[in-house]
Amino acid sequence: MKFFTPFRKKSPWILHYNAGSCNGCDIEILAALGPKFDLERFGVINTGNPKQSDIFLVTGPVTYRSRERLVELYTQIPEPKVVVAVGSCTTTGGVFRGMYNVEDGIDRYIPVDVYIPGCASSPQLIIDALVKAGEILESKSKAIEKPFKLFGAIETIGNKLSRLNMAKKVHDDED
Amino acid sequence: MKIETTLPTLLLDIGAFYEAHQWHFLTVNGIDLGEGKIELQWIFSKYGVKDEVVLYYALSDYETPVPSLTGLIPSSIMGEREIVDMFGLKVEGAQRGLYLDDDSHPHPLRGES
Amino acid sequence: MKKTIQIPLGSQHISLLEPIRFKFECENEKIIGVDADVGFVHRGVELACTRSFEFKQVGYVVARVCGLCAITHSLSYTLAVEKLLGYVANDRIKYLRMLMVELDRIHSHMLCLAHTAENAGFEALFMQIMGDRELVMEVQEAISGNRVQFDYISIGGVNRDLTSELVDLVRKNLTTLSEKMEILTGLFDNNWSLSLKYKGVGVLTLEDAYTYNALGPLARASGLATDVRAETSDFPYEALGYTMMLESTGDIHARNFVRLREIVNSIAICRNIVDNLPMGEIQEKVKGKPKGEEIVRIEAPRGELFYLVRGNGTNTLERVRIKTPTFSGIPAMMEVFKGSQYADAPAILASFDPCMSCTAK
Repeated sequence: MKFFTPFRKKSPWILHYNAGSCNGCDIEILAALGPKFDLERFGVINTGNPKQSDIFLVTGPVTYRSRERLVELYTQIPEPKVVVAVGSCTTTGGVFRGMYNVEDGIDRYIPVDVYIPGCASSPQLIIDALVKAGEILESKSKAIEKPFKLFGAIETIGNKLSRLNMAKKVHDDED
Repeated sequence: MKIETTLPTLLLDIGAFYEAHQWHFLTVNGIDLGEGKIELQWIFSKYGVKDEVVLYYALSDYETPVPSLTGLIPSSIMGEREIVDMFGLKVEGAQRGLYLDDDSHPHPLRGES
Repeated sequence: MKKTIQIPLGSQHISLLEPIRFKFECENEKIIGVDADVGFVHRGVELACTRSFEFKQVGYVVARVCGLCAITHSLSYTLAVEKLLGYVANDRIKYLRMLMVELDRIHSHMLCLAHTAENAGFEALFMQIMGDRELVMEVQEAISGNRVQFDYISIGGVNRDLTSELVDLVRKNLTTLSEKMEILTGLFDNNWSLSLKYKGVGVLTLEDAYTYNALGPLARASGLATDVRAETSDFPYEALGYTMMLESTGDIHARNFVRLREIVNSIAICRNIVDNLPMGEIQEKVKGKPKGEEIVRIEAPRGELFYLVRGNGTNTLERVRIKTPTFSGIPAMMEVFKGSQYADAPAILASFDPCMSCTAK
């Protein structure tokens, strides 16, 4: 539906889930939402409901007990959706890599669109990433509006579902 | 201050020693000594006194059941559940599952694990 | 017939920063039983400290147990190893370490106050406190180079010195902050709608605090006089103007007030530190390998942090036991929930300032 596109672009809502992080990135997300960095000027609101969210912010290296919840939350977010991995341990496992109860990063379980480095990621980086995520979300919205791509933004490449080259493809289609 | 005790006399020793208004119960701790032996520690500190820490310790092995202190000190349940998870010990009234899942490591802090 | 209903809270919820799952057993609106699952963030730091890392690296690993009180974790571990190596830090190092711990306490308490306000429904107050908190974050970033997770403490000293420009910045920001704290204290004390949500809600009695071994601000709000800063002699807190803050009512309001007054006290301690900073080296050589067993207790923002380190004279340690404040506070927290209204549960939970990544390690 074309009607929603401007809103998605102007006001992406975020869902935050802590999959085993040390709190460092979580409080930086809070600080970014606070008055000094003021993420809300981009229309970003932290919501607790996956069904109303557009951007999924994940922190932490995915502990065994949070795996199921992570995938569950991801599947509950309606398409189009963007996943942002906040912090070093979310992207690679970081200092927790190889510990017995962690899974070395979230991209083993869900596809990630934006990676943020840093231990802990600074609010400036988080803002940059969310702006980038907003752009990706916009191109995914456009892709999903084309009727032949109803289940949007997911393409079959070599019998595997892939969303990696999605943004590029959309631009190619427009040309 | 370290005081040696044994598992059968633990409840008597700590029952005679512990007084809720004077002693703060810190935690239960386990240290793997290798070859199936384990050292268990119960640690207390005194309210309002500088550097007063009392540590009861007992030597045991993986199979012997550890008596539970929850009758005396209700908050010891957390530490007991932790040693059940971490060392695979048997503690009365404490089940596995505080931290570990079914497919996690069975007893991470045992030696040779 | 069963007359109660079960309401879950978590593991993902708007009022929770971290994953924790509660199962409230409710009778109409009243909570009569509660069960908690706290193990969502268990990573296995204790084992990694003794297997994967050498003792010189472990200080930076244990800092990743918790982002909010990272400095107290690395300080406790460093102190334990320094005691095993027979090294006593000079006064300048001690003062600089204390300065960072107290700054960390200020920002952690402010985050807790903001979070309590948000969970009770006061979004504007949350924004106001988060804005004031940036004053401390600025100081921390200037001193250590990072806003959170500042690996400031290493074995044998600290990693950065406090220059005179930084001293000026600390003085300037803390002066601004203490003016703001006066406004906040008045607000928390006198605002009528805040008092509806805070006063008389979530009470922990003194007797329960003793029975369940409550600690930190939770215990001090009930009148239990326990503070590791007064119970250890590793740091000269009394000489720098430390006083214990006690309240008696034990409700959310009392917990907020303990935190507010501790922030004011910590600001005074920080000022005393930068005014009386002794001269000396900030990094000294420490030789040897840790051998023996050592216990260290440090007052983290949430209460007593306990480290037991055992070494055997090699580069890897035998055992690092971390007992974090929230871990031993959970039985007392469960007790407070019983008998309160379900609608108050998020605010009560935030007022404990629970730190799950500390608890589960």
